[in-house]
Amino acid sequence: MLLSKDVEILDGLPVLFIRPLSALVCSDLHLGYEGVMADSGSFLPKINLKNAKLILSKAAKETLPECLIVDGDIKNEFSKVHAEEFNEFSEFVGFVKEDLRIKRVILIKGNHDNFIDRLKEPLGFEVHTQEALLGDFLFFHGEELPRTKEGKFLAMGHVHPAISVYNNFGMREKLRCFLYGRLKDKREIVVLPAMNYFAEGVGVNAGENLEEMAPIFKKMLDVDKMEAFCIGEDETLKFGKVGDLKKLPFK
Amino acid sequence: MIERYNVPFSAAESLESLNPFVRKWFVGKYKEPTPPQRYSFRLIKEKRNLLITAPTGSGKTFSAFMAILSDLMNMAIENKLEEKIYCIYISPLRALNNDIYRNLSVPLEEIYKEISIPVTKITAGIRTGDTPQKERQRHLAHPPNILVTTPESMAILLNSPRFAENMKELRYVIVDEIHELANNKRGVHLSLSLERLSEQIGHDFVRVGLGATLHPIEEAARFLSGYKDEHTERDCYIVDATWDKKMDYMVMSPVRDMINASDALVENSIYKTIDSIIKENTTTLVFTNTRSGTERIVYNLMKRYKYGEEHIAAHHGSLSRDVRLGVEEMLKKGKLRCAVSSTSLELGIDIGSIDNVVQIGSPKSVSRAIQRIGRSGHSFNDVAKGEMVVVNRDDLVECSVMLDAARKRRLDSFTTPKNALDVLSQHIVGMSQVKKWGVYEAYATIRKSYPYHNLEFSDFLSLLEYLSGMYVGLESRRVYAKIWYDEKEKAFGRRGKLTRLIYFLNLGTIPDAVAIDVITLENKWIGSIEEEFLSKLEPGDIFVLAGKPFRFEFSKVMKAYVSPAIGQIPTIPPWYSEQLPLSYELALEIGKFRELFSGALQKDGVGRGIFAKKRKLDKKSEAAKVLDAMPMDGNAKLAMQGYFAEQMLYAGVVPNEKLILIEKTYDGEQERNLIIFHSLYGRRVNDALSRIAAITIGEKYDADVAVNVTDNGFVIATGEELELSKKEISSVIEALNAADIVLLLKRNIRKTEMMKRRFRYCAARSFMILRNYKGRKISVRKQQINSEFLLKAAEEISPNFPIIKETYREIFDDVMDLPRAKEVIKGLAKKEISYKIIETDVPSPFSHMLVTFGSSDIIMMADRRKHLRELHRLVMKKLGVKVK
Repeated sequence: MLLSKDVEILDGLPVLFIRPLSALVCSDLHLGYEGVMADSGSFLPKINLKNAKLILSKAAKETLPECLIVDGDIKNEFSKVHAEEFNEFSEFVGFVKEDLRIKRVILIKGNHDNFIDRLKEPLGFEVHTQEALLGDFLFFHGEELPRTKEGKFLAMGHVHPAISVYNNFGMREKLRCFLYGRLKDKREIVVLPAMNYFAEGVGVNAGENLEEMAPIFKKMLDVDKMEAFCIGEDETLKFGKVGDLKKLPFK
Repeated sequence: MIERYNVPFSAAESLESLNPFVRKWFVGKYKEPTPPQRYSFRLIKEKRNLLITAPTGSGKTFSAFMAILSDLMNMAIENKLEEKIYCIYISPLRALNNDIYRNLSVPLEEIYKEISIPVTKITAGIRTGDTPQKERQRHLAHPPNILVTTPESMAILLNSPRFAENMKELRYVIVDEIHELANNKRGVHLSLSLERLSEQIGHDFVRVGLGATLHPIEEAARFLSGYKDEHTERDCYIVDATWDKKMDYMVMSPVRDMINASDALVENSIYKTIDSIIKENTTTLVFTNTRSGTERIVYNLMKRYKYGEEHIAAHHGSLSRDVRLGVEEMLKKGKLRCAVSSTSLELGIDIGSIDNVVQIGSPKSVSRAIQRIGRSGHSFNDVAKGEMVVVNRDDLVECSVMLDAARKRRLDSFTTPKNALDVLSQHIVGMSQVKKWGVYEAYATIRKSYPYHNLEFSDFLSLLEYLSGMYVGLESRRVYAKIWYDEKEKAFGRRGKLTRLIYFLNLGTIPDAVAIDVITLENKWIGSIEEEFLSKLEPGDIFVLAGKPFRFEFSKVMKAYVSPAIGQIPTIPPWYSEQLPLSYELALEIGKFRELFSGALQKDGVGRGIFAKKRKLDKKSEAAKVLDAMPMDGNAKLAMQGYFAEQMLYAGVVPNEKLILIEKTYDGEQERNLIIFHSLYGRRVNDALSRIAAITIGEKYDADVAVNVTDNGFVIATGEELELSKKEISSVIEALNAADIVLLLKRNIRKTEMMKRRFRYCAARSFMILRNYKGRKISVRKQQINSEFLLKAAEEISPNFPIIKETYREIFDDVMDLPRAKEVIKGLAKKEISYKIIETDVPSPFSHMLVTFGSSDIIMMADRRKHLRELHRLVMKKLGVKVK
């Protein structure tokens, strides 16, 4: 599904394809999640990395991209290095470069993800702190405001957007979604859903305070005017404006 | 061999078997042994395993302890009594433990007062989760001769090497309240603990089980005694003194006409009835079926009849320990006029003498009814008195048949969960900490426990694989593995430093219903509510806790903040998740009664005229002949006749155990088509039946279906678009028998909410998701990984992953009653059970409760690909957007 002239949502996947850059974009993988959870007593089966590989394989098969951009939170812990993260991270980059034959891997990282810097030489990927401007496209994670004013199309992650819906029988479900809209200065922006297997998502239409999570929602962007594209098994559907979706009955 | 012992010893024979000092004290205090004691004194002395079932107040506890005290006293006199544990008493109730400890200390003191020669003191000690550290240390240094404990603490003690040393000379284990254990995972857990104990100390011990009525009693005896080896059961005698206490009971209907009386009138009359019973007696004990019900009754009695806190009090598990102990103390001193309880006072805590027991609403099983009513009467020889006040029409029928069954001594049955893999996981972790085990040796030990006697070896191995972390890559096992396991050597044992702590801090089987503390804005603790209840509260809602109304203000990390709302009316109705299921046997009895009574009404010529006779039943009528033989008051009889007559006039059919009425109707309010199945087989059977029917419909029409299940039947709701014709319903029923039910259910249970919820519980019990790790309590929020994702992740490993397997087992065997559901379906196929489909504009009288109450679930059958589209359509419709 075309989101805008050059930007495509791949049906049923939490991944964007940007034509001029020949790039796949995804966000919030939180690799090593299970390992970190195990440290706090939840011994989850390992599936996140496997799932990420599966999604990117499908996406790559469809688009034959030259580049993969991970828009932040590729790993889970904020500061310290966790062995599980290190292992999964290396495996992931290796898979993308060798199995999927994607030449260029670009990571947007948080301010503290230091170990990633150390690996960029041996594994061969590019790293940008907080944001990266590629042509007209500005990729930033979202926990801070972008520093540059450049870029005609912005892409961010971080908030794990989802839409809360009550089904036919009054049971609540969360659907991961892309949010698409325009900043107050009219530039286009998309918020990517989390690719992490276990992330249920934040119900952006269910009273969650986005302003607290990402400063861009404070002054520059009105979430109510953004449109939600929800991801299903094999397709992605437009659910309309978040402001309208907030009117759905929740009890 | 399991054998009933039917001929009691004489009083003299029984007393002779006791040590002279113990006997002297006993005779001085009680004069004569009670009926159960006339079996137990001798049989325990003969070192027999023994199961005693008897009502409260029958001296049950002493029937076990006297013979043991006598043995210990003999040892003391011979100067052979050491600082060792000779007897362990285990009760599921902590409160009961305190009681027992006190009841043991006093006689010991009194017995020793009478002994002039110097004799070693027999000691008793208590060890539960509440026992202070200092006391625990003292037990290690100076072990008590008699240790009073809980199943959970028992499992902890097994992993304490010094305690194990102190238990080497163990002779007796008493398991109290066995009816609260034999039917659930908590009991299964204990059963394994006992086998581990026996293996660890290298010899058997005398097992004494105490409990209230339960059926089949032989099953309970097997549960208690287990197996000597692969083929042989341990011997066990059964003494059943259940019926030795006389009882007098009656069903009371608050109004004469249950159909036309308004809810308010019924409610008013219920409170009026309770009030007059309280006023007629000195001390009344009221039982409800839910905690919220308890709260409501205390609140209303206080408000309506000006009882103060010094007259009436609530007692249930959500209240703080101090509050509960206070209520028990007041009861014992005879200060309270009335105590209201859900289940907490059902068990044998000493609460002094009660004149009368009032049960509000059906307790769902004959055994429980007898147990509760049996709490009244000053002594074993007094007649126990009880009234059952019914709250609605189906309740009226249920309670009347229940008390009638009690009079005829027909009991409902229980089953013990078999081969529960989550409970076994915990014990394997515990066992591995004690020593290095050969796989076959461990398997043999486990199989001595009755619930695991038929454990598949492959299931046992799959647990070893899971626990040794074989489901993750080698590099992660350091973190994931909880045991060391060598497949080639066929041995397992300890691994990791943290595992010991994991075992201690996370063992137990009590469901992880998360308790939320309720606190006032001034930080005063009131009680707790379940997380599920909290999720229904919105700021401003008024609910009742500890007999007082509170306004919900806000919630913050596991705490609900409230402010007092004196004099305000609760806005939150009670919640039904706590409801117990009706037993299958009783459901059949009700079915038979329906047939009998509707037949009688038929003969009487039921017509509109029946409602004109308001005061009394026509004495000569067939209806009166049936009802006069049952323990019902006049109101109840009239209400019963009215209810049945209405159903006959409206629907022309009264469903019974051989006739399932199927009603096709429409729910205008919620815009959905309903198919109501009047299948009176109890909720556990209906749970299975309803899902099988729902799945069949869902698959055939590729639609999502909702079910609502009750004891009396179930309702299938399809959306507004799908309406089945009578013929289509018929073919669904014909299809039921052709289907491979287990396969069908298994494939589709997966799509229900229940599966996800239960899987999470099983994962917690199997130590996959810990509540407590590295000494830190883990916040529920952190544990809250979406259950669906969690389950899917486990399935990725293998669809036969032991925790998944256990989840299915629990659903099929414990939650549902699949075997009996199959019988019903077979009965339908063989035409032993017939069905009739009718169409109604509004649901018939017998289905009103079916539609309104019960537990619901949703079965997502429609193609997942279509699911997003369906949600999309729904959202667009609600927003008023047209989609092409």
